[in-house]
Amino acid sequence: MKVGGCARPRLILLLMLCLFLAAPAWAGDASPEIQVWPDTVEIGAFFSGPDVKIIGKIPQGAQAVIEIAGPAAPEHLMRKGRRTGLWMNVGEVEVQGAPSLYLAASTTAPLLKIPPAEATWGYPALKQQIRFAGQVEQEEREMFLDQFFQLKESEAVYAIFPGDLKVSGGSGDSQTVTGVLPLPTMIKPGAYQVCLTVVQGGRVIAKPCRDLKVVMVGFPAMLASLAYEHGATYGILAVIIAIVTGFAMGYLFKGKGGH
Amino acid sequence: MSLSLYLPLAGNSINIFLLFGLGGAVGFLSGLFGVGGGFLMTPLLIMAGIPSTVAAASDSNQIVAASTSGTYAHYRLGNVDFKMGIILIVGGVLGGTMGVYLIKALRALGNADFVIKITYVVMLGVIGGYMFVESLQSMRQKPVESKRTVTGPAKISLYTRLVQSLPYQMKFEKSGVTLSPLMPLILGVFVGILAAIMGVGGGFIMVPVMVYMLRMPMHVVVGTSLFQILFTCINVTIMQSITNFTVDLVLALILLLGSTIGAQFGVRLSKRLKADQLKILLASIVLVVMIQMLLSLVLPPHLMLAHKGGH
Repeated sequence: MKVGGCARPRLILLLMLCLFLAAPAWAGDASPEIQVWPDTVEIGAFFSGPDVKIIGKIPQGAQAVIEIAGPAAPEHLMRKGRRTGLWMNVGEVEVQGAPSLYLAASTTAPLLKIPPAEATWGYPALKQQIRFAGQVEQEEREMFLDQFFQLKESEAVYAIFPGDLKVSGGSGDSQTVTGVLPLPTMIKPGAYQVCLTVVQGGRVIAKPCRDLKVVMVGFPAMLASLAYEHGATYGILAVIIAIVTGFAMGYLFKGKGGH
Repeated sequence: MSLSLYLPLAGNSINIFLLFGLGGAVGFLSGLFGVGGGFLMTPLLIMAGIPSTVAAASDSNQIVAASTSGTYAHYRLGNVDFKMGIILIVGGVLGGTMGVYLIKALRALGNADFVIKITYVVMLGVIGGYMFVESLQSMRQKPVESKRTVTGPAKISLYTRLVQSLPYQMKFEKSGVTLSPLMPLILGVFVGILAAIMGVGGGFIMVPVMVYMLRMPMHVVVGTSLFQILFTCINVTIMQSITNFTVDLVLALILLLGSTIGAQFGVRLSKRLKADQLKILLASIVLVVMIQMLLSLVLPPHLMLAHKGGH
């Protein structure tokens, strides 16, 4: 029993060594990884939507997609329609499962433009997870999905950049992908996810993710908290500031007037 | 330093000079015609990327400043009829409350947007068209003054008789008219209802109502209208801050700095222009907005989905 007990661990070690040698080198010392700069975005008084730089390490010969996605929350939209010859809002549509932000870039254009059917990235994948409730018929779903993406793209909260990731040689079996994705000025404070999907031989071999925090700071944060927590005080303050400014401007112009 | 300014309640950044320019242009018109400018500013802000609910509510806040400045300027020129203004405010508040309930009921029925848009087009078309034609006729026929009274003596006398038959006749010295306070009260209610439906201060409806139905002189109309708008917009700003959190103070502050400066220039130009010239200018602007709105109703929209809220 004792002898057998000693021989078994040795056998396991030998097997592990064989497996280690058989595995690709990147899986050991250079597994796909992702770095994000900055990892916290601050919305201050002069916020203009910064660029987020993402660097990933992927195996030689692999392709990659980088995505920044915001948490999904139900969204209430109005659908337009024609009534008595006039275009107007004719019904409410609730959109569920759509991320609040979706930015994606890929190493090659087709990977994002025409992703494979089983892909977990790009607009086709989003289409699978988005649900409509309210006044949308089943046969209108595809049309409204396209309309939804167009609406989001017009607000710069959805954007895809096919082929925009830069690939550089790197060393050994790995290569480096670099992407710069512009955050929209409409971005809301919250927790966002940045993911690197590594594709090799038509299948996903890894998907490391990092958090990206967006926080409101300084004057905008102070004003927002006053407005949401003390609405009446905020309203009265807004009126007083407006009246004082109105009078001040009136007084300033008094001397220059004819009367 | 970036030129973009972050608006915390709108949740978006916007170019500071664009905002200042918008405020200045609309403030100029406000001082010139005695209108709050809400019917111009709100669509312009939406076009600049501000959510419609925030645009409308923040606009009310900047109108408080513009109309304070404008009322003050007109008060110094002796152009504010406070007695008439207060009665119109009382009517406006009553009508505004009725209008809010009406919109609530229409929303429950699901056709509020239709009513709002149609009201806009009809009101802007009727007021703009009437003012334009009337001012044009008046400008052309000025040398033959008597001809104006010939155009509709029966209609005018019927209306005058109706106005004179109302009880509690009193003199409004500043406006130089004698009529029952019921008249401005009822008209105030009517404008208040329309203003609530359309989500505007109602200056562009109030001005023609004062000119054509209360027969007030144009320069007193402008000052008194601004006085009435001031109170309507104070009410809206506080109510929106409490109920909907849609008043963006940063947005309003930049707009009001631009608009108060613009309003002063508007007031001065209004003194130099003749009443008919003022009326024809306002009529043209009202008609342009009406045509733009009509086109948006008739032409297919670019997108079949839109954000909820606003109009």
